[in-house]
Amino acid sequence: MSLKNVLENWSDYRKTHEQGGHHEYEHMWTLAIDLNKCTGCNACSVACYAENNLATVGKEKLHKGQGMHWLRMERYWDEPQMGGDDAEYHERGASFLPMMCQHCNAATCEPVCPVAATYHTPDGLNAQVYNRCIGSRYCSNNCPYRLRYFNFYSYYDTSWPEPLNQQLNPDISVRDKGVMEKCTFCVQRIRTGKDQAASEGRELRDGDVVTACAQSCPTQAIVFGDMLDEESEAAKLWAKQQVELGPYEQKKDKEGSELRGYRVLEALNTDPCVMYLDRVREA
Amino acid sequence: MFVSNNFLSEGCVKCVGKTAKRFVSMVFAALLGFGGLMFVGAAQAEVPNVVPPEGSYSGEDVPQPIEFPHDIHADVNEINCMYCHTYARRSKVSGIPPTSKCMGCHTVIATDKPRIKKLTEYWENKESPEWNKVHDLPDFVHFTHEKHIQRFVFKNEGMDVENVSEVCAFCHGDVKSMTVAKKMKPLTMGFCVRCHEANDGPSDCWKCHK
Amino acid sequence: MSGNDINRRNFLKFMGLGGVGAATLTGCDMPTTVTIEEGKEKVVSYLAPEEYVIPGIGNWFASTCQQCPSGCGVHGRVREGRVLKLEGNPETLNGNGLCMMGQASLQTHYNPDRITQPMARKGGSLVPVSWDEAWKLLQENAGKVDAGRSAWFTGTVSGHQAVLLKALNKAWGSQDHYVYEAINNAVGEAVNEAVLGEAVPAYHLNKAKAILSFGADFLGTWVSPVHFAKQYAEFRTGDRGILMQVEPKMSLTGANADMWVAARPGTEGVVALGIANVLISKHQVSGSVLPQAALDVIAQYDVNKVTEVSGVSGDQLVRMANYLRGNSPSLVLSGESAHNHENGYQNAMAAMMLNILLGNVGKTIDGSNKLAVEELQAKTGSSAALLKFAEAVDAGKYDVVFFKGTNPLFTAPVAMDLAGKLAKVPFKVSLSMFLDDTTMQADLVLPLSSPYEEWNTSVAPYQPVEAAISMSQPLMNPLSSETRSFGDLLLGMLKHHGVDGYDFPSYYAYLQDAMDKLPASIKGSAVDFWADSVQKGYVKATAEGGSLTTKLGDLSQKAVDVGGDFPMHLVPSSNQTMWDGRNANLPWMQEQPDQISKVFWDSWAEIHPKTAAKLGVHEGDYIRIKSDQGSIDVKVYIYKGVHVDAVAVPMGRGHKEYGRYAKGNGVNPLSILSEVIEPTSGELATHGTRVSITKTGEHEELPRLGGSETQVGRRLVSTVSAEVFRRTEGA
Repeated sequence: MSLKNVLENWSDYRKTHEQGGHHEYEHMWTLAIDLNKCTGCNACSVACYAENNLATVGKEKLHKGQGMHWLRMERYWDEPQMGGDDAEYHERGASFLPMMCQHCNAATCEPVCPVAATYHTPDGLNAQVYNRCIGSRYCSNNCPYRLRYFNFYSYYDTSWPEPLNQQLNPDISVRDKGVMEKCTFCVQRIRTGKDQAASEGRELRDGDVVTACAQSCPTQAIVFGDMLDEESEAAKLWAKQQVELGPYEQKKDKEGSELRGYRVLEALNTDPCVMYLDRVREA
Repeated sequence: MFVSNNFLSEGCVKCVGKTAKRFVSMVFAALLGFGGLMFVGAAQAEVPNVVPPEGSYSGEDVPQPIEFPHDIHADVNEINCMYCHTYARRSKVSGIPPTSKCMGCHTVIATDKPRIKKLTEYWENKESPEWNKVHDLPDFVHFTHEKHIQRFVFKNEGMDVENVSEVCAFCHGDVKSMTVAKKMKPLTMGFCVRCHEANDGPSDCWKCHK
Repeated sequence: MSGNDINRRNFLKFMGLGGVGAATLTGCDMPTTVTIEEGKEKVVSYLAPEEYVIPGIGNWFASTCQQCPSGCGVHGRVREGRVLKLEGNPETLNGNGLCMMGQASLQTHYNPDRITQPMARKGGSLVPVSWDEAWKLLQENAGKVDAGRSAWFTGTVSGHQAVLLKALNKAWGSQDHYVYEAINNAVGEAVNEAVLGEAVPAYHLNKAKAILSFGADFLGTWVSPVHFAKQYAEFRTGDRGILMQVEPKMSLTGANADMWVAARPGTEGVVALGIANVLISKHQVSGSVLPQAALDVIAQYDVNKVTEVSGVSGDQLVRMANYLRGNSPSLVLSGESAHNHENGYQNAMAAMMLNILLGNVGKTIDGSNKLAVEELQAKTGSSAALLKFAEAVDAGKYDVVFFKGTNPLFTAPVAMDLAGKLAKVPFKVSLSMFLDDTTMQADLVLPLSSPYEEWNTSVAPYQPVEAAISMSQPLMNPLSSETRSFGDLLLGMLKHHGVDGYDFPSYYAYLQDAMDKLPASIKGSAVDFWADSVQKGYVKATAEGGSLTTKLGDLSQKAVDVGGDFPMHLVPSSNQTMWDGRNANLPWMQEQPDQISKVFWDSWAEIHPKTAAKLGVHEGDYIRIKSDQGSIDVKVYIYKGVHVDAVAVPMGRGHKEYGRYAKGNGVNPLSILSEVIEPTSGELATHGTRVSITKTGEHEELPRLGGSETQVGRRLVSTVSAEVFRRTEGA
């Protein structure tokens, strides 16, 4: 098997493989994040804490990298050797990059799970089933984005002393020691939205489901939507930026080569479902 | 979107405070071995288009603050389950009926009976009884009554809503014959999954576990 | 796989059965270890719920966020009688968005350190007392107070609380209500008032094609950040405006700027004059709109002089002037780092001069509409109030002082010796949710309910287009039966004082009555005005504002002194995470990495790599920051987003009290401030303290989010030029 063959067929293979397993998706949930609008304010991250019962682990554990920030705001300074500013000051400010689980369609975390606790759902989500997880942490080791978080301890008593625990969202579990967790694209909101649409006897519409991060964003830099719904705002954004799911290198046309849309570490062929739009600076 | 003063009366605080509590990572061996357990029971006449789940369990007697007679309500008086458990067709939970619902009838009916007197006492103190939960699922299981009632009753051709108790009985046993409820079905994942397989229910883990 | 016919599942099955020895397990039918036994959990039903309340389904109710003074509208998701999540109310000034403080305000409500009963000082310490006793103590000590010998010291107050507070003060024969906010825009307001004739004009960021901001962190802490973030998104789309930020320490807004320019602290005004100089001399912008005195001052600040004073290079000045010249209308703002100096007023005046010179007044900065009901207007805070208060207290002016919504013993410079001065007040009452630094010194503590447990009206201080009264309704039952809303306490005090006309059973009843008495023009045609207002979360009540004047004041700049023994400038910067320290007791906020340094749960000092090299310190090394008032030891974070002459220590941490999450975390830079005052506005010049820094030799790893400082060559985020953006995505 040549490298070329692996590269070209990996994505197909992953999508038809029994573990990843759906030939026809019902939905394909995606995000489009405009870094020109994102100000790095962290509202999304706190909204995620509020929505998803994320534990606060405290200074020492957070410093050891055991934090539970499903959505973490990366901040990078321009680097001199890459053509950035070599001046005395960071004249172009910072680059912010909100990183949440990229819900890769060829997810590297899925095939390594010994108990199939992480798998792909029919709506294109990378699922993490807590009660199935045995805590091998293989998935986390295999995630190139470092977006999986492990419960090294039981945080229930320390993170939510009475009455903080009353804020916990009953729609999702609180994870205990020994379990891996990560961004779910607010699966509880997706399920509720679908159930709501079904009970009203209609199809799911764009805007029925909004993730907590997208909803809280003061600049509306985060757009959530179904790629299979061509009328959805997210799908339109992807199309406009000539970014497609599937390839490990986007084939943009000549005009499109100037467009900002890209996926992080796309060349690893993970086929992520999050499209970013590059930041913009005057000079 | 409007809240009036008495909206914020008794919430279900004690219950939901725990709904989202932790769970323990399960022994993974428990997740293995689907095979060989796919016995499928014969469909009962009352509920069409359904293969009822198989399995039985003999639960303990659970004492309750008021010994609520399900038999008198559902069997003798033939009250529909959803008359009291009204949320079942609309929500995740079927709901313990609000005390006001009990009092709707019992301000006039059987007011001299000791159990009703006890109930009236609660009502006058503006309290609700603290019931002991009989049918409890692990916190990482997000069962929804709505989906099941819709599928088996309202969207089930030929199904008579009058017979809804037959559908309830799939998981709750023959409540008509009990006073206070008692767990009569195993309510384990195998119990759920076998029924899902037999009735083409979803097999996506994230439907119930999230 | 291999030749053996073993797939993964079989392999595991083998391991499972052999390894665990559980041959009798029946797979999924095994009873789990989780308690699902019958009768172990309790279920309590509703007593008599409203028709729309369905267990398991969330309902959304409108209310108003009180975590900072901006007053954003929120929708709270309520399920089973508990509020679980807040989102922005799309119809209010913040739109869909809600900042992290707003999100975390839930943790203020559910905080485990909330006060749950009244407390009184007995034998030197605070002990719980009953409400009866609390009222008795209040009556004994405050009820008979002589006219004029009581005062209120509060944070921003508005709506009907302000009305009641005024009535109460009147009953006590006192006019003294000090409104103090450590993070304020008071110097800017003074300049606006003098030049534009209006303290709070309307800023239209979305209409500007270029924004030059002198330390106004409008995405973080300036005036109404979420509202401005919404405008900023518009500003950045289409033709995409250019953002320039001049300040000594990179703020969140600075991090998003096209051009972030480090100016020596306090020289923002000089930079503004330099830009004006370039505009007039190089770009032939007509100076005729400015008075001759102003032109004379501008003429003195040529590029060389400005570079010498501020450290901003000639190239940067010219580029900023070019951007402003080529992108009209523009908008020039000034904020925190420009204002909080001894020459803050001149800095703000110079920034305002640019607006006049560039013809922005009437375009991007405009007359603001007002709330139609004058008495409900917000009383916004200043630090001048703190100074005046300290002076009055020191003079023994008061027998009784009430504190609410502010924590001056944490935010006031130690140099003021506020604690010592307060000892002269015989009876101090604190109305508070928490035992913060100030409340710990009170003689009587009255526990407040949270903003999500009470009825209230409030008015956002900044709402220039559509002014509205914001409604708050309880999103759930009070967590403790012993807490009271501020409104109820005010009403109770009025009643105890025997004031006529306040015979209402509760603040709720008072509010309904007061709202009902609003003029018909505001009430409109709603069938049930009260229900309609509560449902929407606001009542629109706009009064047309006038237009602005342009009366420029004196531009002459005071030279920044050299500093002598204290060569460095201390920048006690503000950020959304901690605000003025009020968020330090929220675990979500402590756990949130700072946007710039990525530090959490601790304090840090930001210094420039050159400064660090001179001192010989590396990240995590402790430095001692010493002013004439004392010193603090703090770990350093080194980066190129702080001026060489400045050391920035974010404020908000270093509490001595304030609950388990705040207490003992980090240091408080405000504690070593010199008492520098901006003379024109009377504001405390919090950025005016000079310090020296030395290496202590101690080291401790800086608790910050891991990962690299740069992208080390990976294409995680690239930068596209604005020219390309406008071509491909422009309007």
